[in-house]
Amino acid sequence: MFVILVYDINEKRVQKIHKICKKYLTPVQNSVFEGNITQATLRILKDELKEIMDENEDSVLIYKFRTKKYYDRESIGIKKPSHEDLFL
Amino acid sequence: MKKAIYIFNDGQLKRKDNTLIFIKENEEKRVIPVNAVSEIHVFGELDLNKRVLEFLTSNKIPVYFYNYYGYYIGSYYPRDHLNSGMIILKQAQFYLKKEERMFLAKSFVYGAVANILKNLNYYKKSKEEYIKPFIEEIEEKSKEIDKKEDIPSLMALEGDIRKKYYEAFNVILNIGDFFFDKRTKRPPENPLNALISFGNSLIYTTILSQIYRTHLDPRIGYLHETNHRSFSLNLDLAEIFKPVIVDRVIFSLINKNQIQLKHFEEDIDFAYLNEKGKQIFIRAFEEKLNTTIKYKNLGKVSYRKLIRLECYKLYKHFFGEQIYQPFIANW
Repeated sequence: MFVILVYDINEKRVQKIHKICKKYLTPVQNSVFEGNITQATLRILKDELKEIMDENEDSVLIYKFRTKKYYDRESIGIKKPSHEDLFL
Repeated sequence: MKKAIYIFNDGQLKRKDNTLIFIKENEEKRVIPVNAVSEIHVFGELDLNKRVLEFLTSNKIPVYFYNYYGYYIGSYYPRDHLNSGMIILKQAQFYLKKEERMFLAKSFVYGAVANILKNLNYYKKSKEEYIKPFIEEIEEKSKEIDKKEDIPSLMALEGDIRKKYYEAFNVILNIGDFFFDKRTKRPPENPLNALISFGNSLIYTTILSQIYRTHLDPRIGYLHETNHRSFSLNLDLAEIFKPVIVDRVIFSLINKNQIQLKHFEEDIDFAYLNEKGKQIFIRAFEEKLNTTIKYKNLGKVSYRKLIRLECYKLYKHFFGEQIYQPFIANW
């Protein structure tokens, strides 16, 4: 499954959340991640996030796509990394 | 889901914040999400330290190194996490019993030849008169597989068939820059040989990665001699998948004019792909591996997964549940 994850996190915790997300997904903007992930791995990621988040102050949104058929990413300005990059 | 990463730039691979980070020479940093990586292929000059290797081990990510020319030179293969003494004993048992070993070796050759013929038959539609003699000759030769009684003569026969098959490339390929005179390696002597060598390097490591995900031991092969130096089970399985994956990628890249002479190192007689060429090839190769086909009653399966299924078939064979039958493309 392809997901886009975005978050709004209190400054105190934002670093920690960022560190967790980048183990699983590709960082494409400040507080935006994207990538392919399995159901099971996504659950692990969510569990890790919940440990750190304060559910009264922070918010994380995950957009899930079953296939990438309906996804088209257009970028303007400087080129940011994509989860589809094969070469480094 | 997890994907292979190819590193072409020179730089440093580091462990940071419990994930991987690649720092290019120009200080540009790229975060590699460790949970989204299945294997790393290194073509550039890479600096890494033990801490990274430890981290790769715990995440079960093998690293494959290639030299300047794109030849496989070795791998960092994390300590076996799927460790099964049982399967090693079984594998050895089948290796030591001559008739069992011959059966498996012949199965691999049989699978290879069947897939080679599939490729040729595909092109028969448009080029019947040219390609028919090749098909007939290969079919004739393949009848001898059953009669062979030892590994060296079986290997020789397989080499013979492959030679004929490579000659047929001249008919299949539309573009004059790419032709086959004889198979040459180390170094390949023309662009087509360079493509074959590079493709084979990639398929060997791809299969190794898949074997690594099972309990099988890549050190014990059947058609290829088990020795003190190299992995050989992946070479065995590669025989079956080369025509299905590597050769088809080559045909389509050349016939669609996607790979051209400018993608080779000119100063050494076009014997090696340059960086751009390698990237074009890898992109097509990865695409092929991720293509899904309908397979038996398993629904859609990617070619990459198909390789793993081949390993499981060997499992079943070793444990006497089902006789091994090589994968044969059915289209």
